[in-house]
Amino acid sequence: MREKHATWSALFAEKRTTLSNYFLRRVAHRWDAQDLVQEVYLRLLRIEPADAANIRSPEAYLFTVAANLVKEHAVLRAQQPLGSDELEQVVEQLVAPTNLEADMDSESRQQRLGALIDRLSPKCKAVLIMHYRDELSYREIAERMSISTNMVKKYIVKGLAACRQRMAEYE
Amino acid sequence: MNNESTHFDAVRQARRITEQAVTWYIEQQEPLSERQRVAFLDWLRASPKHVAEYFAIVQMHGDMKAAASLQKLTSGELVEKARRENPVVMFPHMEKVMPEERHTQPARGTLAKYAFAAAASAATIATTWLGIAHWRSMPMHSEPIVAEHYAAANAVQSLTLADGTLIQLDRNSSIDVHFDSHYRRIEVQHGHALFDVGKDPARPMFVDVGGHILQDIGTIFDVKRDASGDTLTVISGRVRVLNAHEPSAKGDDLPLPGTAIADLTAGQQIELDAAHASPVHPVQIAKATDWLPADISFQHETIANVARRFNAYTSTPLEIDDEAIAGKHISGVFHANNPQAFVAYLSTLPDVRVIHGSDRIRVVAVHRTDTKAGKL
Repeated sequence: MREKHATWSALFAEKRTTLSNYFLRRVAHRWDAQDLVQEVYLRLLRIEPADAANIRSPEAYLFTVAANLVKEHAVLRAQQPLGSDELEQVVEQLVAPTNLEADMDSESRQQRLGALIDRLSPKCKAVLIMHYRDELSYREIAERMSISTNMVKKYIVKGLAACRQRMAEYE
Repeated sequence: MNNESTHFDAVRQARRITEQAVTWYIEQQEPLSERQRVAFLDWLRASPKHVAEYFAIVQMHGDMKAAASLQKLTSGELVEKARRENPVVMFPHMEKVMPEERHTQPARGTLAKYAFAAAASAATIATTWLGIAHWRSMPMHSEPIVAEHYAAANAVQSLTLADGTLIQLDRNSSIDVHFDSHYRRIEVQHGHALFDVGKDPARPMFVDVGGHILQDIGTIFDVKRDASGDTLTVISGRVRVLNAHEPSAKGDDLPLPGTAIADLTAGQQIELDAAHASPVHPVQIAKATDWLPADISFQHETIANVARRFNAYTSTPLEIDDEAIAGKHISGVFHANNPQAFVAYLSTLPDVRVIHGSDRIRVVAVHRTDTKAGKL
């Protein structure tokens, strides 16, 4: 587990965004998301204090646990067997854009999210769009808006939180 | 009552968890320190709600690039809008109840056709409009989080609402405050009030002045209601006035919904009544706000709050662009009409630099950004 975790930390560092994009949606389609959360949570609780200190990236750990659970679950249901025991391949399969239905879902979700971004305050909106659409760094945005990089970060956190709160109302 | 407060608590708790999840997610863009790693893991292990919310943020974040790319404005245009942060003032004839088909159609069709280049985007207007219709037709639909009545009898009162909105309420004036999870609404019943609206991107603020609706996103304005009609004075920022609703369908020469009637900038005033708007004319801010106290006195108040008190009197507002400075507590008395004295005082504080701009005065920290970034 520890070794796999190390590999995963590296993998996540490299592919964080791509993974974010597909990972949970696939998971949600394969398994009830609430059950997954519950299971992941229980496993997090079982971590020994000594081990907890050794976890180099808690986020990667979180996803390792989730991926393992999804895999176990798939094996259990013997439905769409994932074929390989290697976690990396599980991820590849999770990431592969094969599910048309999921892609349709994502399109309407993106539309909704886009509309929410549009309704943010002008400053918040400008910061989010320059960061996510134009891929500008905090520093570049700070210069254009004549605010500090700290404020840029604050606007990003604020904007994401506002969008998430509104998205949650659809669920 | 009990139900309300439980609902309020639940909303507040959900919002806090979301903010924590987002903060943790953003922190991971750079490798966490050992202490942060432990704290993050502890946070995850504190509640399954945290785990679920973190997953939800990861998922939503995956859509951010695609969603942000739907935006058509260039970054230059967005920056320009952010700089002006124009509030929109609508004065529809709200007293006449709108038939069902009228409030959906103008919102989608005619209203949306107008390019509010200098104001908010068309989408915002449409939403605002639907929001108002919703508000009027179903006033009790959403559970209130805050429902309060304020009245000032013998002295000008200074109020701070839960969202950070700062209100000065004149003698013999009263307002109703009603916040829920979707909107913040304030009704000016009579008298004289000055608003410095707190920012909450998720919940637009509507100020209802009789038949007029003012939607604000961050300027300071003064509203006066008496028998002679309503007066709007802009202290700082810009305001666009829109005739948002056509009262009857007789004839095409009436202004269409969404027609911009006037643009107000700092130091300008307009008189409104149910059917008519006066030409925009300049006004001395000191005259419009002469009902406010002549002194600003404060005891152990944050610099940010004191700056906002001064901003009620000036068309070049003070902006405290640094959290540490903004949060510092001070006490004192200043002449309200002399913000320069306050600025002079601020510039004597350590690590503070004052930048005089044409439309605002910025207070920033000296060589702060780099050390702060390093600390995170």
